[in-house]
Amino acid sequence: MSDFPKGLAQMRTALDQKQISARELTEEYIKSIKAHDDKLKAFITVTEELAFSQADEAQEVIDKGEAKLLTGIPLAIKDNICTEGVRTTCASKMLEDFVPPYNATVMDKLNAQNIVMLGKTSMDEFAMGGSTQTSAFAKTCNPYNLECVPGGSSGGSAAAVSAGLCAAALGSDTGGSIRQPSAFCGVTGMKPTYSRVSRYGLVAFASSFDQIGPIADSAEDCAVLLNQICGFDIHDGSSTHESVPDFTAKIGKPLDGMKIALPSEFYAQGIDDEIKQSVLAAAETYKQMGAQLIECSMPSLKYAIPSYYLISSAEAASNLSRYDGIKYGYRHDKAQSYEELIKLSRSEGFGDEVKRRILLGNYALSSGYYDAYYGKAMALRQVIREEYSEVFERCDAILAPTTPAVAYRPDEQVSDPVKMYQADFCTVTVNIAELPAISTPCGYNPNGMPIGMSIIGKRFDEQTIIQLADAFEKTFVKTQPKL
Amino acid sequence: MDLEMVKYLAELGKLEFSDQALEKMADDMTDIINLMDTIKEFDVEYDALKDNHNVNFNDLRHDESKPSMSTEKVLSNALNSADSFVVPKVVE
Repeated sequence: MSDFPKGLAQMRTALDQKQISARELTEEYIKSIKAHDDKLKAFITVTEELAFSQADEAQEVIDKGEAKLLTGIPLAIKDNICTEGVRTTCASKMLEDFVPPYNATVMDKLNAQNIVMLGKTSMDEFAMGGSTQTSAFAKTCNPYNLECVPGGSSGGSAAAVSAGLCAAALGSDTGGSIRQPSAFCGVTGMKPTYSRVSRYGLVAFASSFDQIGPIADSAEDCAVLLNQICGFDIHDGSSTHESVPDFTAKIGKPLDGMKIALPSEFYAQGIDDEIKQSVLAAAETYKQMGAQLIECSMPSLKYAIPSYYLISSAEAASNLSRYDGIKYGYRHDKAQSYEELIKLSRSEGFGDEVKRRILLGNYALSSGYYDAYYGKAMALRQVIREEYSEVFERCDAILAPTTPAVAYRPDEQVSDPVKMYQADFCTVTVNIAELPAISTPCGYNPNGMPIGMSIIGKRFDEQTIIQLADAFEKTFVKTQPKL
Repeated sequence: MDLEMVKYLAELGKLEFSDQALEKMADDMTDIINLMDTIKEFDVEYDALKDNHNVNFNDLRHDESKPSMSTEKVLSNALNSADSFVVPKVVE
């Protein structure tokens, strides 16, 4: 695929100028999936037949001169986003055979653009995890080193983009699930402001944190995709009426006078030196571009992990109570009573990490513990939001590492839940405070594993963080994975 | 966390564990709760009045009748019979 169009803008031009047809473009990606996905395991379901029929429909639209920005562009979709008629498993035995009878709002929006859906990507079960190793169907590998994890929970989407198995992808981010796998796989991933993108049809994990967002090769491509999926939706009660600007509008504008804060907690003990050095080197690059660096402190960040895990698990315990083996989902077929049906269906349908979160959520919400855990976590959520507001009075964006360490081998961490939870330190506060953030590659460690940095923005100011990420990307030489 | 508490939480979540799985879960939950306990040192109270100022939670659909999802679609992912969900016998 050496002379293959790279980036969504180039693909658009190539399609519109008939240098390549939508079917040929789709064929290239399907070929790549067939060549590499056996070892990468990025996809749970490849929708080859659908992809070609959508490509032919897209070509008709292009031939009529009516192409929209994403017409004919082959995308991958995380398997917790409902796709009418296409199996949506959430990487769980619980939803192994679930075929949604409706589309998520983001899918309606993308289908209105005549995209080509290549398939549904793997993830941690119910998006609970940071390794994609809790997937019941496809434990995705990292394209930079197949023995390492791709991150998670949107590990399949990030790995697919990184390995060139799709033009771009959708993921979802509850505590870092777009940004962390993007960092591990050397691609760009964006978590929009909470309420920007409708959650209707996104299988619920923690409803006050969940947000759908793009994963792509560049900040610009993320912006192009984000432009098409945002907007108020009556089907999502927390959806915002805030107007949707063109997220590409500030790309290329000078950074003179821009203020970027570096909270000391993000550069403290627990973050590997190689990560700190790469992110601080990127900060210097911004300085050379005319930005001003500001040092600051956010003391409540040290409590972010328990705050996030208590609230998100409480919401998950409630959200997952809908899986009863009756209306849809896995059903134990030999139950003798209603109670037994529900218990056995849930016990056999959910994996261990999902069960841990349900127990933790019930603990945080149960009588006698509510105030000490859930109440305190909600209070901390307010403090963390306030600290972000105070910092944003003095700066335009915050720069932080996306992960404390690069991608690891599954046996180093995956079986230790506490270690896994602590690894989310750099990302969870963004969800707690409902802010937008983008992760983009900023270096590689001596073993060639990608390092990611996060740029965190003010509420609804995605434009600035896209501008900043794009400015850095134009100075950074990426190393492509060798598959 | 002791086994009785894990059993209680499992009951709340309608989950069942084998004896061996229950012990492993109790160990995991002990470690997890130790991590969660660090917030106890932070002296702060939740203030409900501060919350949700930026999010519209009150957008309701207009009170208009619209076609809804067909029964066939609603039942398409369930064991069903004669347009209804099937469950084990509830009344003796």
